[in-house]
Amino acid sequence: MLLQLNKIFKWVNSGGQRVFLLKDFNLEVEEGEFISIMGPSGSGKSTLLNIIGMLDNFDEGEYNFMDESVHTLKEKHRANLYKQYIGFVFQAYHLIDELTVYENLEMPLLYKKISSSERKALVADMLDRFNIVGKQKLFPMQLSGGQQQLVGVARALIGSPKLILADEPTGNLNSKQGEEIMEIFKQLNKEGVTIIQVTHSEKNAAYGSRIINLLDGRMV
Amino acid sequence: MFKNYLKIAWRNLAKNKGYSAINIGGLALGIAVTIIIGLWVQSELSYDNHFENKDKIAIVFQSQTFNGNTGTGPAIPRPLEKALRDDYSSNFKYLIMSSWTNKVYLKYKETSLYKSGNYMQRDAPELLNLEIIKGEKDGLREINSIMLSESIANALFGTEDPIGKVVKVRNQDDLVVSSVYKDIPFNTTFNDTYYIIPWEQYLASREWVRNSEDEWGNNSFQMFVQVADNVDMDKVSTTIKDVKKTLNEDTAAFNPQLFLFPMKDWYLRNSFKNGENDGGGRIKYVWLFAIIGAFVLLLACINFMNLSTARSEKRAKEVGIRKSIGSQKGQLIYQFLSESFLVVVLAFLVSLLIILISLNGFNDLAKKEILFPWSNVNFWLISLAFILFTTLLAGSYPALYLSSFKPIDVLKGTFKTGKHAGLPRKILVVVQFTVSVAFIIGTVIVMQQINYAKNRPVGYDKEGLVQIPTYSQDFEGKYDLMRSEFLNSGAVIEMSASSSPTTQIWSNRSGYTWDGKPVGFQEDLAYTEVTYEYAKSINLKIIEGRDFAREFATDSNAILINQTAVKYLGLTNPVGKFLRDDSEENPNPPLKIIGVVQDMITSSPYEPVKQGVYVFDKHGNSSYYNLRLNPKQSASKNLVTIEKVFKEHFPDIPFQYDFVDAEYGEKFASEERIGTLSGVFTGLAILISCLGLFGLTSFVAEQRTKEIGVRKVLGATIFNVWNMLSKDFLKLVIISCFIAIPIAYYVMNGWLEAYPYRVTLKWWIFVLAILGALLVTILTVSFQAIKAAKANPVKSLRTE
Repeated sequence: MLLQLNKIFKWVNSGGQRVFLLKDFNLEVEEGEFISIMGPSGSGKSTLLNIIGMLDNFDEGEYNFMDESVHTLKEKHRANLYKQYIGFVFQAYHLIDELTVYENLEMPLLYKKISSSERKALVADMLDRFNIVGKQKLFPMQLSGGQQQLVGVARALIGSPKLILADEPTGNLNSKQGEEIMEIFKQLNKEGVTIIQVTHSEKNAAYGSRIINLLDGRMV
Repeated sequence: MFKNYLKIAWRNLAKNKGYSAINIGGLALGIAVTIIIGLWVQSELSYDNHFENKDKIAIVFQSQTFNGNTGTGPAIPRPLEKALRDDYSSNFKYLIMSSWTNKVYLKYKETSLYKSGNYMQRDAPELLNLEIIKGEKDGLREINSIMLSESIANALFGTEDPIGKVVKVRNQDDLVVSSVYKDIPFNTTFNDTYYIIPWEQYLASREWVRNSEDEWGNNSFQMFVQVADNVDMDKVSTTIKDVKKTLNEDTAAFNPQLFLFPMKDWYLRNSFKNGENDGGGRIKYVWLFAIIGAFVLLLACINFMNLSTARSEKRAKEVGIRKSIGSQKGQLIYQFLSESFLVVVLAFLVSLLIILISLNGFNDLAKKEILFPWSNVNFWLISLAFILFTTLLAGSYPALYLSSFKPIDVLKGTFKTGKHAGLPRKILVVVQFTVSVAFIIGTVIVMQQINYAKNRPVGYDKEGLVQIPTYSQDFEGKYDLMRSEFLNSGAVIEMSASSSPTTQIWSNRSGYTWDGKPVGFQEDLAYTEVTYEYAKSINLKIIEGRDFAREFATDSNAILINQTAVKYLGLTNPVGKFLRDDSEENPNPPLKIIGVVQDMITSSPYEPVKQGVYVFDKHGNSSYYNLRLNPKQSASKNLVTIEKVFKEHFPDIPFQYDFVDAEYGEKFASEERIGTLSGVFTGLAILISCLGLFGLTSFVAEQRTKEIGVRKVLGATIFNVWNMLSKDFLKLVIISCFIAIPIAYYVMNGWLEAYPYRVTLKWWIFVLAILGALLVTILTVSFQAIKAAKANPVKSLRTE
């Protein structure tokens, strides 16, 4: 078992009323799964992904990640946990504009305090694997959207995470670029990486081994 | 990691050049001001540090009380020396009698100089730590010797070896150069002691000094001491307190109190009130400027904070990404502090450049000789500490603010800083403008006070009046001749001589009696001896009676008094009354008051005129010729003529002269320096605040681009938009004014109280300051506001 959500509630207070983003939500994810989360806007997809990624808190319930109970951890421990095991891929890529491709890839390794020689080797591997060696000195703004997302995936992958969380990774890409990214995910999943993606596209969802449909904060 | 942080910081700076320039430039200005003020403060605090035994050295002070007014100063009588040497010698390592520091003529072959120095006793070279370049350290052993400073020796002797050569002093005494010492540094009390001549020579060459051996009432000398190694200065001071009072009955009525005034307080804390050191003096300006420096730095740091947090939306995304990748809050704080560090280091480098360029100008303004301490390790260590301090001061708030963003908020792309996010920024702007407005008001009041005192009627006409110093024996008996020569030359229309310059009081007298003098009244009168035509030459108005006149032979025993003296002495119809100088052993004829002259300012222009008497100069004791220049010719032409006449009669004496109005202007030098410096610093403070405001407006305008676009589409005029953007800032500045005004009022009122003759604070100064601040704000804000208002709305809306 990689992670387990138990009776998760998440709400916001709006105009004196409690609006539930997630309501009594339960989920178990085994290692090696490829899960697609679908549902209309506002159904709680992103909220769920953020909670799994430990970027967001929940109000009630239990969350166990690799036998650690996340809800009892302090922020620092939580950051250590996701730094170690989770990689994020965003719809808007979210690369740091002031850093080159190479430096963007290197950044997670810096936070993991990996030695300089090892960093070089790892970044070189990644550049090689994604065929972007020639672009390593460019800044994100000098790349196409597809290329930026490639770097985004490479960055998520460089710390060898167990789990990749992707929030509409192809949302800003054309279909060809999107397909490329999905193929990479498929390949990664074969290599044993667990993937959870949020998507609007039936086609992309089909890459996954399991589809979760959300409506108003509940699984349907 | 640190490298990575610096890299990203550098790229951020390079990307936003305008922002970086404002940020670094403003901070650099602030740092430069702080460092320059720091160097100045250091130089003030280290005054007299040149002397190794600074803590052990003192000058003997005496306070005496006349009619309830206690005067305190370094003047002591000669018999005190013997008293201290006989009974208290174990307390002192050195005890040195000294003359005042006076200018004399020094001549060797054809070269003649007019330089200041002292007559001192033999231990002076030890006390002053003189660094002997040539000759012996014990250079005051022989009565006919003279020790010269290096600069004077070079000027007199050039390449010749000065040792053993004869210098003619005052065109009268032949003294042999015994040694040459390195010039005493500028930053010391003795920086104008260019020569030292043995005390014995002082006695030998001046009868009045010789005669003063037992005169307890003749306070005409100074005494420097270094206390013995094992004794406490305060104790010695208490021990000698009543020496004069016990030994001399005649002066006991004035309650003479002696004490040691330690060297460490000479320069900074030399203010006395009722015989007690009140701790005041230059030290208050040291504090004032230290505070100004701290505030200017604070203003610059506030700019940095405001601009950094205003830009936060741009940096928010990065914070989100970094957090999602695994950065902890601490690491982000560290990152933003490293960025601040980089900015501060850059600003520091720029500030070094600014200092390099402006230090000479500052030295001129502040009358200092501050050198940049390139080779001083401590300076660089302090600078490093200063950089770190500034980094923390300027960087903490932005670092804490930026690192607290929640990643999911900022990554969703819906991130907007909340309604109250601008509040700390507003508070900081208010702080900035409060300081600036207070500075403006302070500076205006200082300037006003100076002008007020400058415009005070001096009582005589100082324009076109020239004085020539004549305290050398060569001038004795030559007055009448010189007067006719000068008058005949056509360059001078009137001339007189006096025992002190018109701008100063050199002597005070007491011991007169007159009809109606209250019992026990101890008067204290400013005393000047003058020749015929004194009043006429300086245009001093005779209010009652008449001036000294040649046709009245009895005028040699006549006296003029000033208006204040009339009241002070309690005389009605003073003309025709007598002042008697009635010591028993010396029965002088009574002095007849023949006239009352207008009060003239002889000492501080900020104080009431002192009661004074002008006595006819019977003995040719003049120290100055007062020459009224011919107004029909240019001053320079007159001076050429005067010099020619002077040289005909005194070929060996360098021609020295001062314009009286310039000499009078010297009285304002200290206040004017304060005024100019605070003016400069105020200007910089305002500039820094405006830089910040400018940056802030540009961000606000950028942030509200869409809003401005929508408003314009809906019909807003340029004026509406300008008004909308400026209003917020103007509100803040007005709030600042209302905080600054009471503070400035309170502080400046306190400052003015030190001046008996002072300007009254007027309401319009404050209104002026408010208007000034508003004007500056409007100008600063308008540039960006109008730019934003004029932008084509279609363009700004399309980008959304």
